[in-house]
Amino acid sequence: MDSALSEISEFIQAIPPLDLLPSNIIEQIVKEISISYVRRGQSLSATNNEEANIYILRKGALSYFSEDEKLLAKYSEGEICSAFCLSQHRHTPPNIASDEDTLLYGINYNNFQQLIKEYPDVIAYFQHTSEQRLNKKMLQVNEEAIVNSSLLNSPIDNFYHSPVVTISPNKTIQQAAILMTEQGFSCLVVADNEHPLGIVTDKDIRRRCVAQGLSIKQPVSAIMTDDMTTIDINSTAYDALMKMTQKHIHHLPVTANNQLKGMVTVTDLMNNEGQNAVNITSVIHKATSVGELTEISSMIPKLQIRMAKLGTTADHVGKSISAITMAFTIRLIEMAEKLLGPPPVPYAWLAAGSQARQEQFAHSDQDNALIISNDLKPEHGYWFKDLATFVSDGLAACGFIYCPGNVMATNPQWCKTQKQWSQYFFQWINTPEPKALMHCSTFFDLTTVYGDNQLLEKVRTKMLKTTKSSTLFIAHLSRNALNLRPPLGFFRDFVLKQNGENKATLDLKHNGIAPIVDLARIYALSEGISSVNTIERLKQAAGTPSLSTASAANLVDAFEFLSMLRMVNQADKLQQGLQPNNYLSPKDISKLEREHLKDAFKVIKTMQDSRQSTY
Amino acid sequence: MRWLIGYEAQRKRMLARAPKGPLHDFLSVPFPLLYTPVDQIPILAVDFETTGLDAIQDKLLSVGCVELIQRQIKIGTSYHQIIQTQGSLKADNVTIHQITDDQKDQGKPLAEVVAALLKMLAGKVMLVHFARIERQFLQQACIELYGMAPVFPIIDTLVIAKKKLDKRDVAYDPSELRLSALRAKYQLPNHYAHNALNDAIATAELLLAQTSKKNEDLTLQQLIL
Repeated sequence: MDSALSEISEFIQAIPPLDLLPSNIIEQIVKEISISYVRRGQSLSATNNEEANIYILRKGALSYFSEDEKLLAKYSEGEICSAFCLSQHRHTPPNIASDEDTLLYGINYNNFQQLIKEYPDVIAYFQHTSEQRLNKKMLQVNEEAIVNSSLLNSPIDNFYHSPVVTISPNKTIQQAAILMTEQGFSCLVVADNEHPLGIVTDKDIRRRCVAQGLSIKQPVSAIMTDDMTTIDINSTAYDALMKMTQKHIHHLPVTANNQLKGMVTVTDLMNNEGQNAVNITSVIHKATSVGELTEISSMIPKLQIRMAKLGTTADHVGKSISAITMAFTIRLIEMAEKLLGPPPVPYAWLAAGSQARQEQFAHSDQDNALIISNDLKPEHGYWFKDLATFVSDGLAACGFIYCPGNVMATNPQWCKTQKQWSQYFFQWINTPEPKALMHCSTFFDLTTVYGDNQLLEKVRTKMLKTTKSSTLFIAHLSRNALNLRPPLGFFRDFVLKQNGENKATLDLKHNGIAPIVDLARIYALSEGISSVNTIERLKQAAGTPSLSTASAANLVDAFEFLSMLRMVNQADKLQQGLQPNNYLSPKDISKLEREHLKDAFKVIKTMQDSRQSTY
Repeated sequence: MRWLIGYEAQRKRMLARAPKGPLHDFLSVPFPLLYTPVDQIPILAVDFETTGLDAIQDKLLSVGCVELIQRQIKIGTSYHQIIQTQGSLKADNVTIHQITDDQKDQGKPLAEVVAALLKMLAGKVMLVHFARIERQFLQQACIELYGMAPVFPIIDTLVIAKKKLDKRDVAYDPSELRLSALRAKYQLPNHYAHNALNDAIATAELLLAQTSKKNEDLTLQQLIL
């Protein structure tokens, strides 16, 4: 090609998605170019009212306004303005004006489509909606993640072993021990005619028989654990890990349609992957001092880097880090209980915020609370205070900094009985003052880490019944959530806010992730959904009056994309030995990523706008 | 004003004398009317690369041109051709134009290139930056090829800029009138200079910027040399 034209072709070939086209197509596109010059303040639609063009900005800037004069987007050098090609503009041309004297490369859209017709990825860029483009991107990311990551999203089906060795409940403890030795298993399922009754492990023989001086001739049912935790065969390895961590068990019988199919052990999970979340949690369980835990905690950033580099999805990284935090907390509570003696009354240790949602990353702060049985007496207060202090200090030593907002079990305000928690929620829901709403983002995302799960679940059930019918509360929550607006996109190397102002950095958390978390919480609370994880909330709210199935899928895509970007950014920072944060400089965001970000922002904006019109 | 009106009269007079062929064809198409508004003027932006400044001694090396129609530079119309000339190139010019002897030998004969250029130029106004070179070299080529030099209505971006500077009545450095300097003044992007087609496109972009202000009342009459 002529060197004069090669200058133009080099310029346009660097612009996504044209970078996907071969040189011969680019050369043909160059021939289609009409260069025009638009003076500052001039309207583009007025000067070109013929056939639809795409415009590549060679120099200058354009602003795109909605019919009611709201800024929709800005374009700068090296960007493509395809607003004139959108089908909705067939009748009313879009309102686009130049912010500066602008040199444009216009290309007739019909001719352009002819040239790119054999390149579906390029066509998709121009013809698909933000939602479609984002969905395509996330499908691709998730496919890669499945290929790359081995453990967490692989189904249990891949590594449980079967058949399970069973023993009938009237056999003796000794017979059970002999069977276990013969088979080389550390655990048996106690079953009556294939109907599982309970589980007996090495540990039960040691703790409940030998240590107690129980006769080995007693039936095995005397020492079995009868409220057996099982896992469905369709679950993932991650689900198994969570169950094991939560219940502090190492064996999980696998069932299909409530029929016993096999057994999965912590060793099975560990053998499946080298240095991973499972290994770390298992090491945590064995630690005997806070010092040891502190040492182990240094592995968390390394794990996050490794998972991010492997292409693991942000969802799984968040879940793994959350599982590890949970393991630390549980181990610290166990240590505290050993030191303080058994709890005076039943209680549960709660995680709030990102840990509860299982969306935690390395170096996040601790958000926790205590829920205590209503039988709490004033003299028990010290025990819980000591427990909270020990665990909270321990977590801080392990790198989970004290919550700046003091949402911690050590704060008497968040160390309350079941009844008091119910009152809190009642108050927050019925008198939604600004301060109350501030607590919502933390305390409406709660999960039990340790202790009696029922304490929280009863409060939650009651709370969800109230939120479901409290339109006033939902309205306040919505209004509050809508304060965090995603930007429009980018303008040159700045973040373009909805009011047209520029910002130097993109705050992934507040400008993207938090708005989706807030929306998901609103959908969950208005539909009485008990899940706290954002993706689960969205998936469960899909198809309810609050959220259409398509919108839910769009939000999941946007959430996954933004979380992935945050995770990769954090991994980069961790690798450089820097403190990870949520900030990205637009200079560090590739043109392609900017396009995906814009699509994600648009999805959020659409859902926020529809929320706004609801209330 | 009389000499302005004279373009059409001269064209008709010359048409009668012109030999059949490219020059005759060129002269048989009327020039745009003087009151044509600026965005309606059919324009051909032209640039020549030469071995020097003297139209008689020096040679035409290459021609680049592109149409500017209704304020749109149509890249699809662009034309760039290296010309076969006798004699080897002077070394210092080679570095400016980056046209080597080898490339020059792949060029086309002057007659063919000038014929092509006249065909594109018919009915249009020629746009150049610093008209002297293009006008003199093209007229010289026509004299050599057809025995006579025709008239060309010309718009010169340098003259437009100079008039503006002169109006301010302040001293200025002549280097301010260079194509690259003027483009920079209008915040047009840097361009790869000293390729005829590239300079033609760059000149056309400059004209768009220069005439973007009051494009309603500007006519050919105010722009023509």
